[in-house]
Amino acid sequence: MPGPGPSRSRPIVTSLVVLLAASGCSVAGADPVGGGPGTLRIVLPEEPPTLEPCDASLTATGRVTRANITEALTEREPSTGGLEPALATKWTRTSATSWTFTLRTGVTFHDGSPFTAAAAAFSIKRATDSGIDCNVDGYIFADTELTATPLDDTALRVTTSKPDPILPLRLSFVEIVPTGTDPDSRVREPVGTGPYRIDEWNQGRYLRLKRFSGYWGKTPDFSAATYVWRAEGSVRAAMVTNDEADVAIGLAPEDGAGDRAVEFATNEVSYLRIDATKPPLDDIRVRRAVNYAIDREGLTTAVFAGRPSGQLVSKGVTGYNPRIDPWPYDPERARRLVAEARADGVRTDTTLTIIGRNGIYPKAAEAMEVVQDGLLKAGLKVRIKMLDVNAWLEYLLRPFPTGDTGPTLLQAQHGNQAGDAAFTMGQIYGSDGAQSSYGTAEFDARIARAQLASGGKRQRAFADAFDYQNDKVVRDAVMANMTGLLALSPKVRYRPDSATNDEMRLADMRRQD
Amino acid sequence: MLTLLRRRAVSSVIPLMVVVLGVFFLARLTGDPANLYLPLSATPEMRAEFAARNGLDEPLVTQFGDYLAQVAHLDFGESLRTAQPAGEAVLRAFPATLQLAGWTMLLAIVGAVAIGSLAAYRPNSATDRIASFLSSMAASVPDFWIAIMGVLVFAVTLGWLPTSGTSGAAAWVLPVATLLIRPFGVLVQVVRGAMVSALSAPYVKVARGKGASEPRVVFGHSLRNAAAPALTVAGDLAVGLVNGAVVVETIFGWPGIGKLMIDSVLQRDFAVLQAAVLLTALAIFALNILVDLCHALLDPRVRQRAAA
Repeated sequence: MPGPGPSRSRPIVTSLVVLLAASGCSVAGADPVGGGPGTLRIVLPEEPPTLEPCDASLTATGRVTRANITEALTEREPSTGGLEPALATKWTRTSATSWTFTLRTGVTFHDGSPFTAAAAAFSIKRATDSGIDCNVDGYIFADTELTATPLDDTALRVTTSKPDPILPLRLSFVEIVPTGTDPDSRVREPVGTGPYRIDEWNQGRYLRLKRFSGYWGKTPDFSAATYVWRAEGSVRAAMVTNDEADVAIGLAPEDGAGDRAVEFATNEVSYLRIDATKPPLDDIRVRRAVNYAIDREGLTTAVFAGRPSGQLVSKGVTGYNPRIDPWPYDPERARRLVAEARADGVRTDTTLTIIGRNGIYPKAAEAMEVVQDGLLKAGLKVRIKMLDVNAWLEYLLRPFPTGDTGPTLLQAQHGNQAGDAAFTMGQIYGSDGAQSSYGTAEFDARIARAQLASGGKRQRAFADAFDYQNDKVVRDAVMANMTGLLALSPKVRYRPDSATNDEMRLADMRRQD
Repeated sequence: MLTLLRRRAVSSVIPLMVVVLGVFFLARLTGDPANLYLPLSATPEMRAEFAARNGLDEPLVTQFGDYLAQVAHLDFGESLRTAQPAGEAVLRAFPATLQLAGWTMLLAIVGAVAIGSLAAYRPNSATDRIASFLSSMAASVPDFWIAIMGVLVFAVTLGWLPTSGTSGAAAWVLPVATLLIRPFGVLVQVVRGAMVSALSAPYVKVARGKGASEPRVVFGHSLRNAAAPALTVAGDLAVGLVNGAVVVETIFGWPGIGKLMIDSVLQRDFAVLQAAVLLTALAIFALNILVDLCHALLDPRVRQRAAA
C-alpha cells in the first residue's frame, strides 16, 4: 500500500499547470474583435486559401481579392450586365481576333510602381499561359490562346487564337498585378491597384486590409477591413447580432439573423442533371415527367430560399430568356407520361439514383428527399446517394464513373459569374462539355452559332438555345434561382447584388450616418 | 523508469508506421484532388500537368517512398490548397488545440476529483445522487448542441461572452466549457466509483483508527489509491481532445488541428493531412507514455514490474 508521503506526481502536475499558465488565455495572434469605428468587420464562411489574383474566379479567393485588393481592365455591372471601364478606359475591336485597350493613367500599385501596359500584358500572360494552374485560365479562357502586347505605356493590344466577341468581358476576370509578381508560382499576398492593400494576414485567425492612400478612384468610407471566418452559419449570424461583426455572408434562413438579414438575388441556379443516355431517362417523356414531378414552389417555400426557375442562367446574363417559365408542378401529368413510356416498353421500373452533394446549398439532402418523393409518386423508382464534394465531382465531370451506377440524376448548382451564357452552354450542354452527360448535334450547332455572335444577335441566339434545350432536349430539371442571405449591422449601408457571393466590394459599403 | 520509457517508445514505432501507411494509402483512395483544384472545365492535359507537378502521376509505392524520404528530412511537402509548407500549417494549428485540451483536462480533473470525492464520501446521500445525475447527463449531452446553446444564451441573449474567436480570456469560456462537460461527467463517475471502493478498504479503517484527520484519509490515503483508474480514463479522454476537438473548433472558429484535419480530408490536401496525422499520433504516443509515467509514480508495483 503506498504511503501518504510526498507525491511523486506533484512535479508533473506542477509542470502542467505552469505550462498552461505560461500559455495564458490567448492563442498567439488572437483575432481582433474590435478595430475601431473606421474598421469594417466581415465574417466569412471560410478562410481564403490564398489571395492569388489569378484564382479570383474561386469564390473564397475572389470575394476578398476582386475589386478590393486587385482590379481588372474592365468590370461587369451585375445589375445591368453591362461592361464598365476599370483599369482600361476604352476598348476597340480592331479585327476578328484583335482588340486594343486604352489604359487609365495615374494609377499606381500598392508598392508604388506605376500601372502600365507592360503590367497588364504581364498579368494576362501570367493568368493564361504559365504553370500556375490559374483557375481563371480554365474557367474563363479554356482553350483560347491570348497574346498581349504593350503598344506604349497606355495602350495594349490583345489578340486571340480564334474570334472572341466577348474578350473584354473575359478580361474582367484577369486581375492586374505588377511585373515583379512571381510568374511561376502562386502568391498568397498580392500587390494590386485596388482601394485596399493587405495589412496583416494572421493565418487561421484574421486578415486585415487597410485603405490604400494612393488609390486612383473614390476614397472608400472605411479606413480598414478585418475578415474573420466561422464555418457555422448560426455563429456568423450571431456575430452580427452581438455586434462582433458588421457583415456576415453565406447564411441560411434558419441561422437566426432576424431583422439583420438581407436577402438578395444571386446568379446561382440549382438543378438536376438528367443522365439522358440510360433508360428510362433516354426517353424524353420520362425526362419531362421528372420536371413535372418536382414541386419547385414547395422547395423554395419550405426547404431553401429561392425563386422557381426554368433555365440555368439568371436575369442580367447575356442569353437569359425571359419567355422560359419554370416547369409547373403537375404530378398527374408526370404519372401519365411515365405510364405512356411504360406502355411503350420503356423500363420505367429501373431504379434511378439521385447523386446528391452535402452542403451544396442549405438543406441539400432534404431538397433531394422532396424530389424523390415527387418522382416516386410519378411511378419511378428512386434512391438517394449523398456524397462529399470530391466524390460528387467524380460524377459531375468527365470521364464519368464507369461502374454500374445505372441512370442518375445529379444534384448540381451553377452560377454564371461572368455574365454571358457562353460560360454555361459549352461546358454544361455541349456534347463534349466537361460537365455534360448528353447533347445533340443540333443543340451543339446552336451553341456554336451563339458563341460566335455578338451584340443583340448573341442574346437572341443563346436565348433560343435555352428555349431549344427546354423544349426539345430536356437534359435538366432546373429548380430555382437561389436567393442569398447576409446579415448586416445597422452601422453599415450596403446593397448586395447578384455578384456579392463572388465579389464583395468593400468600397460599396458605407457608414450609416 | 528509463526501461519503461524505452519499452514504450519501441512498442510505439510499429503502430506509428501503421498509422502513417494507412493515412497515406487510404487518402489516395478517396479520389483525384485535381477535380477540386482545377477549374471544372479543365482539359485532360491540364489534369495530367497537375498530377505530374504534384507527383501524383507516380505509382503509389514510389510516392510513398518519396514521402518517407522527405519526412526523414522533416519536409512534409506543400499544401495543395494554400501552396505553403504542410509542416508549418500543422505546427501553427497544434498549439491552439494543445492549449484548449490542456485547460479542459486540468479543469475537468480538478472538478471531478472534488465532486467525485464529495459524492463518494457519503454514498447515496442527496449530494451523491445529485452529482451522479448531473454527471450522467454531462457525459451524454452532445457537444454540438451545448456549443450552439452556449452561443445563443451567453453571447446573443445575455451578452456576457463573445460568440467565438480567440481574443481574450472571455473567448475561452465557451469552448472550454463545451469541451469540459463530457470529460467532467465521465471522470466524476469514475472518481466516485473508485473512491467508494477506496473509502471502504481496510487501510482506511486503520488510518482512521490511528487518528488521521478526514481530509488526510480522503485525499492522502483513499484518493491516491483511487487515482489509477481515473488516470487511465483521463488519459483516454485527453487523447480524444489532442486528436482535435473538431466540433468546438468548427463552431468557435478555433484554429486547431481537428478543423485542419477535417478540412484537409475534404479538400484532399494530402500533405497537410499526413503531417497532421503524424504529429497527432506522435503527441498521442507521448501522452500515453506520460500517463504510464504517472501510473509508475503513483504505484510502486508498476515501477517494480517495469524494472523487472
